[in-house]
This record gives sequence, structure tokens and C-alpha cells, in this order.
Amino acid sequence: MLPRRYPFCFFVVLIATLLISEALVTADAQTVPPPDTKLALKAALVVTPEFCATKFTKGSWATVKETFEVGKIACAELEPALQKVFSSLTSVTVAPSSGNAPSTDAQVVLTPRFVDVGAGVGVTAFSNREMDVFLEWTVKDASGKTVWIETVQGSSKHHMGNVFTHSKNLKLIVSDSVRDAAQQSAIKMSSAVELRSLTP
Amino acid sequence: MTAVLLASSLCVASTIPDYPVSHPGDYAVSTRAAGLSIGVQPVEDPKDQETYFRAELKAKGFVPVFVVIQNEASEGSFLFDKTKVTYGPADSTLSTPKTGSRGADAFAAAAIPFVGIFAVPKIISNAAEVQHNLLKKEVQSTTLSPGKSLHGFLYIPVPKDAPREKIHLRVPITRAGADETLVLDLVF
Repeated sequence: MLPRRYPFCFFVVLIATLLISEALVTADAQTVPPPDTKLALKAALVVTPEFCATKFTKGSWATVKETFEVGKIACAELEPALQKVFSSLTSVTVAPSSGNAPSTDAQVVLTPRFVDVGAGVGVTAFSNREMDVFLEWTVKDASGKTVWIETVQGSSKHHMGNVFTHSKNLKLIVSDSVRDAAQQSAIKMSSAVELRSLTP
Repeated sequence: MTAVLLASSLCVASTIPDYPVSHPGDYAVSTRAAGLSIGVQPVEDPKDQETYFRAELKAKGFVPVFVVIQNEASEGSFLFDKTKVTYGPADSTLSTPKTGSRGADAFAAAAIPFVGIFAVPKIISNAAEVQHNLLKKEVQSTTLSPGKSLHGFLYIPVPKDAPREKIHLRVPITRAGADETLVLDLVF
């Protein structure tokens, strides 16, 4: 009865069972390295303490309440990822446009902001669930005009985990999603015609 | 039981389709200015909402509006900043649309009925998938290089139990590296 009504669903379960050994292996975020050619620009990456402290709490007492601490990981991952894109990259903790910021000779100022995160909830401990993190970039030139805006999506999949492993799996899925967002940021910036047009 | 729940969960996750994307001029309301075309399509039919969101969003207090913007100019880029978009009745002050997350919160608030201990994991999972889907389909800020287009949903609050008034959507778009801002107004 059930297989006749839901043949596709049972096919999915069958395939999932056959591939269980592969499914048990945590899926890494799919990333593509940015092109080799760096942008000949001096860039300042603005990572404020507020940005580095960004976290999102999702769910409720009735479901699964989870806190996604994305800012802390982003502040560790963004600089190395973007150093592959610009000929020079310096991290600053205060936006150069603000009054108390130290002077900078940056040609472009890169400001990230987390828009949101979303994650599915696995039914069982071994269910893979997907997480997406949306990171918005605003890039200004030396005159303070915005030359580029982009929202990148970082994704990854991990097991939901059980009561003992959920916390560890949560950290893994958050770190892989943010790492993917950093890689996607590098790819998008590297290929942005608006940024390339600023190079001498 | 676990197998059935797993299958159901996987099916929900894998079968929420994307809304079809066409040229902006093909949608219910469209306009064009300075080489930019914009089209919007409110998705109000409960069947369509079930198809693309697995939820009846009107009952949660908002209508999803599909937005497509295309830069048809041969040169010059434009900046679409989602946070600058405003909406409202034609004769009132404009507000900003709900984000996917806030729309999802509205959904989540009523998404977990008590239906028995065995069904709860599936309900929870499906609710999370629905919320995740709302977020993934939301339009995001981006740069429109020549020839490029963007698409996604805005979630605009509407009365839950009454017919909605006409909505005035205002979409400001700035020329990259300049102070010039074009304002695209649509009423639907």
C-alpha cells in the first residue's frame, strides 16, 4: 500500500540506504578556488567587533532552539580567503568612513554584513541537513561611493546529530557554511567587472 | 516509522520547486527606465503558495511578491539594495518588506500543532524546511552588471482576514560608483 502510494519516497529511502556509508561521511562545502589573477587594488576589510559577534538564534522551545555563531568564524576565515583576491588586503576594525577611524590608503573598502542564516532540521540523528548563510558585501571606492554590492550564499550539509553529538555537528555545519561563504565571496569579488574596472 | 518519516522529510526537502523566471515584461506588473526593466508578480493563489512554499502564506499575514529586474543597458552597472525597497498602500507612508526570516517566524509561530509524539519530528522538520525555503527564495542585494538580472521574492505584510488594498512598491536602484538613483514605482 505504502510503496504504491509513495513509490518515489521509498525509492529515495532505498537509495539512501544503499549509499549509507557515503551519507555517513560528512559532506564538505563545495568550493571553487578563485582565479589566479589578483586584483591590483589595496583593499581594507572592515571587521568590526559587532560583526565578529554576529549570531542568530533560530527555533523555539517547541522545536529545536539553536544558536548559529557565524561572526566569530567569519572573522577568522574572510581575511585569508580575500588575500587571494587583492594585491594588498588589510583588516580594520573601524570603517574608514567613520569619524574616529585611522586614515587608510585603501582603494576599496570591503564591508561584510550577515543577512540571515537558515537550516533544515533532520528527522533522525543521521539525517543530513542543509544550512545556508547569506553574507552581504558593500564595496566602496576611495571617494566613499558604493561601487559593488553582492550577497553570497555559503552552504554545507552535516548530520543533525543526537543529544550527545548535536552541539559538535552544529559547530561543524556553521563553520563549513561560513567557510563556503568566504570562498564564494572571493570568487564573486575576483570576477566582478565593477572591481576590475577600478584597477589601474 | 522512521523510514516513513525520513522518506517524507526527504520528499518535502527535495520537491519544493523554484518559481519560473521570465523576462520582467512577462509578469503582471512591469515598468522600464534608463535601461532597467522590472516585473513583479504577487503569488496569491493558495495552490501556487502550496506549490512554491508548501504553506498558505496569506493566513500568516503576508503575500510573496516575485521580483525580476534586468539591466538591459550595454554599459553601466546598477546597485540593488534590498534594504532600500519600501511598500505601502498608494496613499500612505511606505515601509520595508518583511525579510524571509521574519516571514518564516510568522510561519513558525503556528506551524507546530499537537498531533502526537510520532508525527512531531516530521512536522518540525517540514516547518524548518518551509522556513529555510522562504529564506532561500528571498531576493537579495546585488549588483546588476550590463545584461545581468536578479530575481527573488519580497514578503509583504497584508491583512490575514480581509482583502488586501493595492500595494505600492518602490524600488530605488543606484548607479554603481555614482550618486544617481532611479526609483521604480509599481502598483498592484
